[in-house]
Amino acid sequence: MNMVEKILARKSGQQSVAPGDVVVTDIDLMVMHDLSANFVMKVFNNEMENASIADPSKLVFAFDHNFAPATREAAEALAAVRRFAAKHKVQHLFDGGCGSIHHCIMEAGLVAPGMIVIGCDSHTPIYGALGAFATGVGNNSMAALGFAHSKGWFKVPETIKIHFHGTPMQAVGARDVSQYLVGHLGEDGAIYQALEYAGPYIQSLDVNDRSLFPLQAIDVGGKCGFVNPDEKTIRYARELLGDGPAAARLEFFQNDADVRYAQVIDIDVSKIEPQVACPPTVGNVKPIDAAVGTPIDVAEAGGSTGGRLSDIRTLARCFANRKVHPGVRLQVVPASRGIYLAALREGLFETLHVAGANIFPPSAGSNQAFNMGALAEDEVMISTQARNFPGRNGHPKARHFLASALTVAASALTGKIADPRTLEVQ
Amino acid sequence: MSQTIAEKILAAKSGESRVSPGQIVDAYPDLVMSHTATWRSVSVMKKIGARKLYDPKRLAIVLDHISPAKTEKYAADQQTSRNFAREYGIERFYDVDAGIAHLVLMEHGHVKPGDLIVGTDSHCTIYGALGALGSGIGYTEVASVWVTGKLWMKVPTTIKLTLNGRFAAGVSAKDLMLHLIGTLGADGCGYKSVEFYGSALPQMSISERMTMANLAMEMGSKCVFIPPDEKTREWLLPRLKDSSTYEPVYADKDALYERSLDIDLAALTPMVACPHQVENTKPVTEVLGTRIDQAFLGSCANGKYEDLVIAARILKGQKIDPRVRLIVTPGSKQIMLEAMRTGILATLMESGALVTNPGCGACAGDGGMLADGEVSLSTANRNFVGRMGSNKSSIYLSSPATLAASALKGVIADPREFY
Repeated sequence: MNMVEKILARKSGQQSVAPGDVVVTDIDLMVMHDLSANFVMKVFNNEMENASIADPSKLVFAFDHNFAPATREAAEALAAVRRFAAKHKVQHLFDGGCGSIHHCIMEAGLVAPGMIVIGCDSHTPIYGALGAFATGVGNNSMAALGFAHSKGWFKVPETIKIHFHGTPMQAVGARDVSQYLVGHLGEDGAIYQALEYAGPYIQSLDVNDRSLFPLQAIDVGGKCGFVNPDEKTIRYARELLGDGPAAARLEFFQNDADVRYAQVIDIDVSKIEPQVACPPTVGNVKPIDAAVGTPIDVAEAGGSTGGRLSDIRTLARCFANRKVHPGVRLQVVPASRGIYLAALREGLFETLHVAGANIFPPSAGSNQAFNMGALAEDEVMISTQARNFPGRNGHPKARHFLASALTVAASALTGKIADPRTLEVQ
Repeated sequence: MSQTIAEKILAAKSGESRVSPGQIVDAYPDLVMSHTATWRSVSVMKKIGARKLYDPKRLAIVLDHISPAKTEKYAADQQTSRNFAREYGIERFYDVDAGIAHLVLMEHGHVKPGDLIVGTDSHCTIYGALGALGSGIGYTEVASVWVTGKLWMKVPTTIKLTLNGRFAAGVSAKDLMLHLIGTLGADGCGYKSVEFYGSALPQMSISERMTMANLAMEMGSKCVFIPPDEKTREWLLPRLKDSSTYEPVYADKDALYERSLDIDLAALTPMVACPHQVENTKPVTEVLGTRIDQAFLGSCANGKYEDLVIAARILKGQKIDPRVRLIVTPGSKQIMLEAMRTGILATLMESGALVTNPGCGACAGDGGMLADGEVSLSTANRNFVGRMGSNKSSIYLSSPATLAASALKGVIADPREFY
């Protein structure tokens, strides 16, 4: 069995499981951001009379889209979730300013390797980088099985192994490689399959960079994504969990030597150029050349895929003693409170602020444009966000390109989408 | 002789040797400020078919109220303002990252003693902190001043307020103003100029003076003056492009005042304005223990660096009450930078605050909206029904010190116990 199969077997009380089996498992953690918490709460309240929450300690609400509600309706929705949490004794409620949901939850030490985590956010598979089985579920499943029984049912997925090798060229980072994979496999390239990211390149990355791969598992239709836990995972998890609530449940499941794959895909990262997902979808991934020269109005480093400390450091290196292009509004959105404070203490914000960037509270940033990120009809944004669908950021005709923090920085410097390989970084 | 500051400035700007209260003059403002509402003035200009500006150098545009855009409509409006600034070569254009118009213009040296400044915001009175005549006008009038360069104004009568003594610990300019607004009423200085004097003034910082000139609007003032002194000069000279333009205007010794009032600062206590009028003020001791859901530290009244420092001193090393959401919005880019450099921002974050990008923020409902039945304490200057969200929510106004003390306790608290 591989890591995913082992977790599903353990949590469903079986010796072993195989792809295609349907299992009912215990759920260790259920994560929702402000939008989905509100939806699930409504299902639970309206359609499940007299139900109670089986284990409120397994629920987490993180308000990341509306970090400071911009409308009365948003304020009412957040207030309703707060009341629901108080009534049902849900203690893990992270209010506005907590950061992007998954980063906030990891930073709080609530996720441990070996857990089953479900979330109503499609990027929930991110926890696969930590050695957990994590996947997105619908609001109804969350309310009916998760809330009421702390259970979930899953068909054990087949697994595709992506073997990455080679050394990336200068200015190509994990975001470029993970985006490349989305373009390479296609948006329906791995439907209901588990993606295992492996090979020397993945081993060389830290857990933070590895997390970009399972984060994007959903963008190829995957059920989940994971990296078979190694020394780095174990060290990272121990550091993260400390003496926190999940530390006691720390359990590493690792692939057996003889695991079988539905498919093995080989990728030589040395051939990958900087990548950009062009409008209108995340799967429309192209080498940067396809977009170079496109004038931009807004640039953003933020979201679960780009507000990490490493991204902010990258940006600060690019903007030391340089200015944001006068035609560009550069937005920096740290993905968690811890990242915000670290960036502040390292002086990164000062560098970026002086360069002309605008620093925002830890949150999901421009994702879905609740507190920020709305564009006018002919405006263009380049960001590290995870989604670029039409209308997601203001006017349906506005265009949104997705790229690495380095490409965002190079573009914000020149006012046009730029190849980061042309950038001299101090 | 016998002229007040407002009379002198209005005479100078309308080419008269002297003017008297009640007289109507055609005045030529030195600066016309427009904020997020700029696009409205642009559409008025289009509607009347005007193409040419009287003097593009007199325009200043700051996109502060909605920063950045939350909807495609706001995004399009901001684009209209940006395009207008580009087309007409408006040099004093500040985008959504700059901060609150009033603070931005003063920090950048666009306001100096003796200037006549009008703008699309009622709190333009704040420019009186530097000895300029600032007054709010509508966006249609702004378009008209853009095109013709002038505006008709009635010369106001003047009220003289003399401040003596020193604030007790935990009491500040905000408490003074809430006391005055409560005593004189929301129309206590309706269409009147207010001049501040007294032995207390030289000790008061520029930041405190800004709070005073800003809040004086809430008693109906047309304009407000804190006569320039050594502190004004020190603050302003490094910011002015040309220091020879620093020419303070003072009232004549025998100027005629409609009314004079003496205030002893030592007798003041922390004040709050209760829902839903600014004039509905009470000593904090009368509302102690009032539950709050949100605390907002920001606005042109109290989003300045000194205000953040006052709050940070109380919050340092402590956590805010879990029932309270503390939102901090630095008033400008410069203020945020200073707070980054001195560790004030880190202190606020560590206490559990949500620190936003600079701008007007929750004061006018840009973020931090309230749900039905929620209560916010705020350092802003207005607490009208529905201003921060639901019509069934309530807003109390206070000083930064009272706000910080209350955020720690989870209920409205007396800041004096932290001094």
